[in-house]
Amino acid sequence: MDDYLVGVLSNIGIISFVALSAYLLLLTGEISFGQQAFFAIGAYAAGIATALWGWPLSAALGWGAATAGAAAILVGIPTLRLHGLYFAIATLAFAEMVRLLFELFRYQLTIDGELVGPNGSDGFRGIRYIFENDVSSLQFLVLIYLLLIIALVAFMLLERSRLGVTFRMIGEDATLAELNGVAVARIKVLAAGLAGALAGIGGGLYAHLTTYVEPRIFDVMLGVHSLAYGLIGGLGTALGPLLGVVIDIGLLESVRVFAGYRMIIFGGLVAVLLIVRPRGLLDERAVHYLSRVWRR
Amino acid sequence: MLRLLFAGLIAAVCLAEAAAAQSMRAKADVECKPAGELLHYDCVIKLMNARTSEPLAGVTLMVGADMPSMPMMHNVRPVKAAPGADSGIYQARLVLEMHGDWAVQLNLSGPVRDRVVANIRFDPDRATPVVPSRARPGHKH
Repeated sequence: MDDYLVGVLSNIGIISFVALSAYLLLLTGEISFGQQAFFAIGAYAAGIATALWGWPLSAALGWGAATAGAAAILVGIPTLRLHGLYFAIATLAFAEMVRLLFELFRYQLTIDGELVGPNGSDGFRGIRYIFENDVSSLQFLVLIYLLLIIALVAFMLLERSRLGVTFRMIGEDATLAELNGVAVARIKVLAAGLAGALAGIGGGLYAHLTTYVEPRIFDVMLGVHSLAYGLIGGLGTALGPLLGVVIDIGLLESVRVFAGYRMIIFGGLVAVLLIVRPRGLLDERAVHYLSRVWRR
Repeated sequence: MLRLLFAGLIAAVCLAEAAAAQSMRAKADVECKPAGELLHYDCVIKLMNARTSEPLAGVTLMVGADMPSMPMMHNVRPVKAAPGADSGIYQARLVLEMHGDWAVQLNLSGPVRDRVVANIRFDPDRATPVVPSRARPGHKH
């Protein structure tokens, strides 16, 4: 397979994790502009685990997800008492705080005569696991998509489960859900933790794919995009955010005729869809219609 | 279905962790300058062994770029660098989508497999290496 295509597909797969992460919070009715913070935590944690501690990739990705999930729970406990705009601003403030902390974070060890590890604003170079272990780009792409399929299957199962229904119930009307005996705060913190872990897996994969991360990568642009993917693709199914990613990176970016104008088209697309289709292309009605057609 | 997926995942991870051979590390000096056309830059890349600083000749070098401020969202199609006159010197022309800070990715294959990232600020009239800690206002010493 062409290297460029492998690169684009890898990017689509990795950014899908952040998009799914934002989507999970959207299900519970909360808009987060801060999922890039958990992506960053996952990237640094997993990168440190392989590059500095010599962990295997699987353990490092798990560690990245666990660290990001734990951070999301810790942030979720105080912030999920806020709603709407206040919650969105709180998540954005947290994400910027994390980014600035990584600007100051230095933790380097001498590996093979070279200093390796996070070095503040200058970033974290030398996350060379895939090169040291002779993992090809194609093998890494397979790993990304296997993890993504597992995440999608988990989402499908979740949406059919009692917990998934509870997420949507809270998203529709948190007060009504609480009156029906749902422990809203606890469920929201659980959703935040799962969303953080998902973003953390994406971050871990990203760090190992590029071999280099720096704090600038994790600014608000990534958070806005991850949120926009769900809003474009649709909130009716977990495939919605993936559709958003494919439209943005797969179509607008890869079709060279849009190059340079992509951000304008993307912004316009979000604005138009928010007006004409506020819950995205694959909204609940579209999903219901498509599933009826599929059953026939 | 779920079991099958987990089995596949474990197999992929095992495959990825199977060979644990230490590979050679590369480092690079990248110098770019405007090529006369808008957003076209000619880059001269000096590849070296990171440990011994000896020039790295005979590798296949693909040069791509990504914007750190918009990761994964700008995919500059990687171009193959041509070997220069001297050992370890390669030349490539980059066609970017916009000016600004780019992380130039050097993907080495062949006798040496590695990826080296160089941060470069591409302005209309020049291209200069970026050290983020020195590039920030208020961080000048």
